[in-house]
Amino acid sequence: MTVETNGVIHDIGYQRYTGPRLGRAYAVRSLYSHGLRTAFGLGRSAKAKVFPWIVVGLITLVAAVITAIRSQTGEVVVSYWEFPEGISLLVILFCAVVAPELVSRDLRGGVLPLYFSRPLTRWDYALAKYAALVSAVFLLLAGPQLLMFVGAAFSVEGMSAVWHEFGDFARGLSVTGVYAVTFAALAIVVASLAGRRAVAAALIVALFLVTTPIFGVLMGIAYSGSETGELTGQSLKLSQLAGLVSPMTLVSGVGRWWFATDNSVGPYGPLYGLVALAIVVVCVLLLLLRYRKVAR
Amino acid sequence: MTAGLFNMTIARITARALFGRRRFLLLLPLPALLVGLAVLADSLGARPADWVDPVIVGLGLGVVLPVVALVVGTGVLGSEMDDGTLAHILAKPLPRREIIFSKLVVAVLVTAVTVGVPLYAVGVLAGSSRLGVGLVVGATLGSVAYSALFVALSLLTRRPVLLGLIYVLVWEGLLTNLLTSTRVLSIQQYVLAVADRVAKSDLLTGNVSLAVSLAMAFIFAAGATLLAIDRLRSFSVVGETS
Repeated sequence: MTVETNGVIHDIGYQRYTGPRLGRAYAVRSLYSHGLRTAFGLGRSAKAKVFPWIVVGLITLVAAVITAIRSQTGEVVVSYWEFPEGISLLVILFCAVVAPELVSRDLRGGVLPLYFSRPLTRWDYALAKYAALVSAVFLLLAGPQLLMFVGAAFSVEGMSAVWHEFGDFARGLSVTGVYAVTFAALAIVVASLAGRRAVAAALIVALFLVTTPIFGVLMGIAYSGSETGELTGQSLKLSQLAGLVSPMTLVSGVGRWWFATDNSVGPYGPLYGLVALAIVVVCVLLLLLRYRKVAR
Repeated sequence: MTAGLFNMTIARITARALFGRRRFLLLLPLPALLVGLAVLADSLGARPADWVDPVIVGLGLGVVLPVVALVVGTGVLGSEMDDGTLAHILAKPLPRREIIFSKLVVAVLVTAVTVGVPLYAVGVLAGSSRLGVGLVVGATLGSVAYSALFVALSLLTRRPVLLGLIYVLVWEGLLTNLLTSTRVLSIQQYVLAVADRVAKSDLLTGNVSLAVSLAMAFIFAAGATLLAIDRLRSFSVVGETS
């Protein structure tokens, strides 16, 4: 038995990295843009594209039908600001598809320690994911609205009519912004609690859907008080406040406060705005709290 | 027990896996909310005619029944696929139909009890025990059809919950309200029709005839079960999709 004595350590050329370090802001931007691409399955397999694009296709179909009816009959079936309310079920479905994709996979894969060993802080991570979901929901709604606007702009006569149409379009975008910020905040908090995408999706849908019948019950109570179907006094107040109980009716209440001509939210419009704002703030705080100490 | 149709051991481990998981416990607030809302509406003095539609039809039959059936139905086989224990069952000398039937029975029973009990309470609160019985019969029929559908779905695709949610939200929720002719292909409408016929109450209105409902629910359940058995015959154990 001979002992090998002439062993050498070869220099196989390991080197330190001396190039530029792109830092925290770059990491946040990357995470955001990666999240936005993930939302629509861009840069991923065909399987990952199926569900988001089913929702995109359905919403675009609705917008195309609305545009077609308008160009044929000249009648505005659904105005821009009412559009998100009409298809809010599809927006919820989109949140249920995308939010788990953004956060639950990282939890399940146990890759959070890898993220947090970089200059990226926990809060950067949470806020970048939230921003990506907000942008995705906004794009989901703004794209079809843009289609409606282009369709309308070519069917109206004269520059001033187009300008007027653009004003309506901008109103629609502002309501869309409220939808995106609120729905994304709720969805991402719920998704960050579940490591399995399927569970997270079911929870998100359940959160939005079980609260809506409470609105129906309150409206039922309001109408119970009146014999003629006309609401007065307490019942009217109750019907105007009932929308606060569910995210769907809350956000549509904000739109009504801004643009509706009827009396459906009455003098409580600012309250709807405040509650929506409070929900967003609370959800973002909960999200930051959730990521304060989490490994998987 | 009929030989080759039902296996007590499989049923037992399925039930134990179901109740031992946190995701099933997360569902329990749904039935509780159903009863809570009905009690709230009743105590605030609303007429049943004003709250039955949002609570029983909107929440109970429209959300709680399909969502519970979805989580349970995709869970009975899905959980075994996830942790890989399905391979052990498939390796046993059991006919595939026995595995599917046993798991289906557990899913139907769990769904029917979880949804039927609160619906009965709400029905009694809203009108009579007759309405309660009608809702229980409807919910049981719905459990059979939904469970068979979702068990089959969990064998057909890697993302059964999302596909099931699309069926519940887009097909039953949106489309049947816009295009009324698609009601013939909606389990929710069969449940409503059967509950309406049994309860004989003004509070519920079915949109599809009873014969069509029963026949279509049977076709849904039987077709989905046969499909599931067929899929399980050529099942390959793979990991989660990207």
